[in-house]
Amino acid sequence: MSTSRLIRPCTAVWLLLVILTGVTYLVGQAGLSGMAIVAFVLITTLFKSQMVVDHFMGLKRARPFWRGLLFGYLLIVCGMIGVAYYVGLTH
Amino acid sequence: MDTPLHDDTGALPGDFAIWIFIFAELLVFGVFFLAYAFARANNVELFNESQLQLDRISGAANTLVLITSSYFVVRAVAAIRDDDSRRCVHWLAAAIGMGSVFLVIKMFEFADKFSAGISLSTNTFFMFYLSLTFFHFMHVILGMVILAAVLLKARSGGYSAASHIGVETGASYWHMVDLVWLILFPLVYVIH
Repeated sequence: MSTSRLIRPCTAVWLLLVILTGVTYLVGQAGLSGMAIVAFVLITTLFKSQMVVDHFMGLKRARPFWRGLLFGYLLIVCGMIGVAYYVGLTH
Repeated sequence: MDTPLHDDTGALPGDFAIWIFIFAELLVFGVFFLAYAFARANNVELFNESQLQLDRISGAANTLVLITSSYFVVRAVAAIRDDDSRRCVHWLAAAIGMGSVFLVIKMFEFADKFSAGISLSTNTFFMFYLSLTFFHFMHVILGMVILAAVLLKARSGGYSAASHIGVETGASYWHMVDLVWLILFPLVYVIH
């Protein structure tokens, strides 16, 4: 068994998603807030979501259009949540 | 071995019809998320204070549960692509089991809120929290029904390495349910 087969790629993705979820949870538990923290949380969320799209849904092997469509969706949703948070700060 | 959900034709995995449904669902959830985010922008203090009453551990646990169930579904698809129906059924059963864990955790969370006198009319935050999470809750149930139908067909030998579009279709829907929660958790439970 080669080293690359010691852990399946999908298992590595699952492990990464678990770790990043733990990081997001700890950010919440620590009571951290502010634009930089929210940007970090949203970028982490965008990354995690794209991992699911690419490796779990399997869109990494689909036509770039479909992958781009979902990435565009995630980017707009996470980006607009960030904009809304910024608007809340300025109120 | 990490078998992709579909072949190398570049097509979407599963039946294209499910993707119309998935995109429509994502659009609805997206609008819901942005409505929450901009409502929060006008009521920051209320949202921050109300959010303190949420059980973040339950939210994080349910995120891990859904991620793990999605992983099990990936393994189920890989199994059927290896022409192993028995293993496919086992992974699907495990995924449905994790879906049940999600529902139980969520029901405890709902019960806790209702017993504290919290309802849709408590305030804007809880109106969003309850309706968003309940809407997602219903999608988890629908996803489990779809996975159960796929499991039953797989158990009776209805899928093979050459023909398993139904497994990919169910898997795609389940991953969408997971994807939506990956955004919902930080939005409602973490960001403040």
